[in-house]
Amino acid sequence: MTGTWGLLRFMLRRERIGLPWWLLGATLLVLVQSTQSQNLYDSPEALERLRRTVGGNTAVIAMSGPTRLLDSIGGEVVFEIFAFVAIVVALMAMFLVGRHTRAEEETGRAELIRSARVGRQAPLAAALALAGLASLAVGILVFAAAAGTGLPVGGSILFGAATATVGLTFAGLTAVASQVFENTRAAYGSVGLVLGAAYVLRAAGDVGSGALSWFSPIGWGQRTFPYAGDRWWPLLLPLVSSVLLVTAAVALSRRRDFGAGLVPSRPGRARATRWLRDAYGLAWRLQRGNLAGWVVALGLLGVAYGAIADTIEQYIRDNPEIAEFLPGGAADVVDAYLALTFGMAALIAAAYGVAAVLRVRGEETSGRAEQVLATGTSRLTWLGGQLSVALAGSALGLLAFGLGEGAAYGATVSDAGQVPRLVGVAFAYLPAVWLIIAVVVLSLGWAPRPSAVLGWVAVGYCAVVTLFGDSFDLPGWARRGSPFAHTPQVPLVDPALTPLLVITALAAVALAAGYAGLRRRDVGY
Amino acid sequence: MTTSTEAISISALSKSFGSAKALDGLDLTVAAGEVHGFLGPNGSGKTTTIRVLLGLLRPDAGQVRMLGGDPWRDAVALHRRLAYVPGDVTLWPGITGGEVIDLLGRMRGGLDRRRRDELLERFDLDPRKKARTYSKGNRQKVALVAGLASDAELLLLDEPTSGLDPLMESVFQQCIQEAKLQGRTVLLSSHILAEVEALCDRVSIVRLGRTVESGTLAELRHLTRTSISVETAEPLRGLETLPGVHDMVVEDRHARFDVDTAQLDAVLRLLVPLGVRSLTSTPPTLEELFLRHYGAGPAAGEQVAS
Ligand SMILES: Nc1ncnc2c1ncn2[C@@H]1O[C@H](COP(=O)(O)OP(=O)(O)O)[C@@H](O)[C@H]1O
Ligand SMILES: [Mg+2]
Repeated sequence: MTGTWGLLRFMLRRERIGLPWWLLGATLLVLVQSTQSQNLYDSPEALERLRRTVGGNTAVIAMSGPTRLLDSIGGEVVFEIFAFVAIVVALMAMFLVGRHTRAEEETGRAELIRSARVGRQAPLAAALALAGLASLAVGILVFAAAAGTGLPVGGSILFGAATATVGLTFAGLTAVASQVFENTRAAYGSVGLVLGAAYVLRAAGDVGSGALSWFSPIGWGQRTFPYAGDRWWPLLLPLVSSVLLVTAAVALSRRRDFGAGLVPSRPGRARATRWLRDAYGLAWRLQRGNLAGWVVALGLLGVAYGAIADTIEQYIRDNPEIAEFLPGGAADVVDAYLALTFGMAALIAAAYGVAAVLRVRGEETSGRAEQVLATGTSRLTWLGGQLSVALAGSALGLLAFGLGEGAAYGATVSDAGQVPRLVGVAFAYLPAVWLIIAVVVLSLGWAPRPSAVLGWVAVGYCAVVTLFGDSFDLPGWARRGSPFAHTPQVPLVDPALTPLLVITALAAVALAAGYAGLRRRDVGY
Repeated sequence: MTTSTEAISISALSKSFGSAKALDGLDLTVAAGEVHGFLGPNGSGKTTTIRVLLGLLRPDAGQVRMLGGDPWRDAVALHRRLAYVPGDVTLWPGITGGEVIDLLGRMRGGLDRRRRDELLERFDLDPRKKARTYSKGNRQKVALVAGLASDAELLLLDEPTSGLDPLMESVFQQCIQEAKLQGRTVLLSSHILAEVEALCDRVSIVRLGRTVESGTLAELRHLTRTSISVETAEPLRGLETLPGVHDMVVEDRHARFDVDTAQLDAVLRLLVPLGVRSLTSTPPTLEELFLRHYGAGPAAGEQVAS
């Protein structure tokens, strides 16, 4: 254990840029939800109406939590947001522990550290301490956000504590996974699987008898019922599990060699398949896992949104205040709702596209681009590889969303025609998504260094315009920069061809100009 | 094959990154079929020169020709005829070494399967491992196998052995000898002098982005001193007055001294009449050559360059 303290300080320094974002994200979720809920359900009657609507809606319960939470406004906040805050905290804990244990061993950096005067268990101990501290910080911030927005103090403390213990559980889980698997991705994958199972188990439990929720770390937290009974004893479950998991991780780490896992990683191919022959094959190979994940996630999101589309009409009738947030008002409620969900899906697709096309920059700064460009690969082909994934991948994601939403909505209203209809709707949002990707390419060509910042600022700006443009009453000029603001809100309105063609043409020009810049500039800095 | 006898010819090449001058009038000529050593301390501009040759960087000034073409304009066509091995190899973490070798080979326009497998064996590299699990030396081997398995007529190697152990270093040297026998041209950037001495026909030494010395090893040695230890029948006299003799230690009939290689002949003429009993002469190593340029401060370099 020698050197744990020094290592912890070193880790904190390495995380000083990334960690605040996790904390901020969790805090904002609670802050926004608490403010919004208290505005929407500002009277006991409003809350009562909500209880009635939600009580009969399996989809909402499956997405959120147990209905007992709806007994008070604070509980309503927990009902809506706890699962998502839990996911953020779990991922934070997973990356903190994974990055400083398994990933360090995999890259060989840990070898350097161990050769200094540092005990065998010190990196694991320091990483767990780091995740513990971060979880504690999230707990305090969640408490502050909840109590600060006027929710009862007692329940807020429990809310914060329940959030923090999710972090502890997943830190322990990651510590075990890091001993078992030899590569970081497999460790993350297994923890991610547990996280997904935790969400699904509590969904099934909350919809059914509740028994299954007790197998889920997210369920444990929700079943403390903050603001709706304030039950502390379920927190014993995550606390005991984290102690057991950490003990197991320490025991396992004694039984394995440095750099090895208990499960050795499978050997790969000795020869490339015939698909891996050029920059296109390489780009798709590198991104296929990610792409599949995003497409499935967007498809599932479509299913989730589509499943509740039918009940929206009913819901709106019960809560007329919500209609204000929908572009078409109370009329055409379902179509307005569908248009809104497509707007969100398009933002997610744009974020995916930006991340995918920024691989170009990653390849360049890592030095891998140099090896590819030293072969017969032209700069156009090199760019084209990753760009094709970004363009096609974002399109696939949007289509998957339309397919999922169409299938789920079609099933609830017994109308198979919704599938082709909503898949068709997806195409209307594509030009705007592509324009954002094209702007990143423009930057890659002429000003590569700020391209990542620029890409994310563009996505963030579009998100603010789409999500908050109306509620913040942004003036027209401030919204005009977002291509989504010029995209017809299909299916609420008919698709107008002119703006779509203009946006597509702009995207094509930006792509061509970006390539022209890339041809002229030095590569590899 | 190029018709010209010069595989690479660079004159007065300059390249700056912002205010930092990486190359400052560099000259380099590599004849077709030769193994050319490209020597210089860290930061002297070797990698930058090779990146210019690869068409990754656009020169600020100077002429650059490679295989009869312009490295910037004709990049793609030229790249099919060369293979490049970087000094610090980064690979795609989720792809195996074998896949990378095949991919880079195919991107170059095909590779010789038999040669590839033979090289894997000689370098003792497991092609089934994901790149993220390779050590630095193994990543280097992946790039070497990919480069050497091609039938490229020009090999651009940028400190290609920096991560290899001595055993693999000797395998590498054999491979370069073979490449030379096959008539390929090799530009070998290195700071391992023994490697350059063992392999290279000619060397160029760069410093601060400028060529300070260029020629065959013999020519370069000529510019330096040979150490002599001699024992004669007659007492030694008159040696210290000869031009080009330095650091003389005489004990009656025994002397140790250094002599400018150019003056060797005159010294021997003086020794022979005295009756030479024993004589050992140690030719200058490249190391000494190198140290003369880099160890003695800035002045030494400028002196020779002028
Ligand atoms: N992309 C770059 N940006 C700024 N400076 C650079 C860049 N590449 C190289 N340099 C500088 O140019 C000089 C030559 O570097 P390099 O060619 O890598 O030398 P060598 O390969 O001989 O070690 C160094 O001073 C280095 O810091
Ligand atoms: Mg270098």
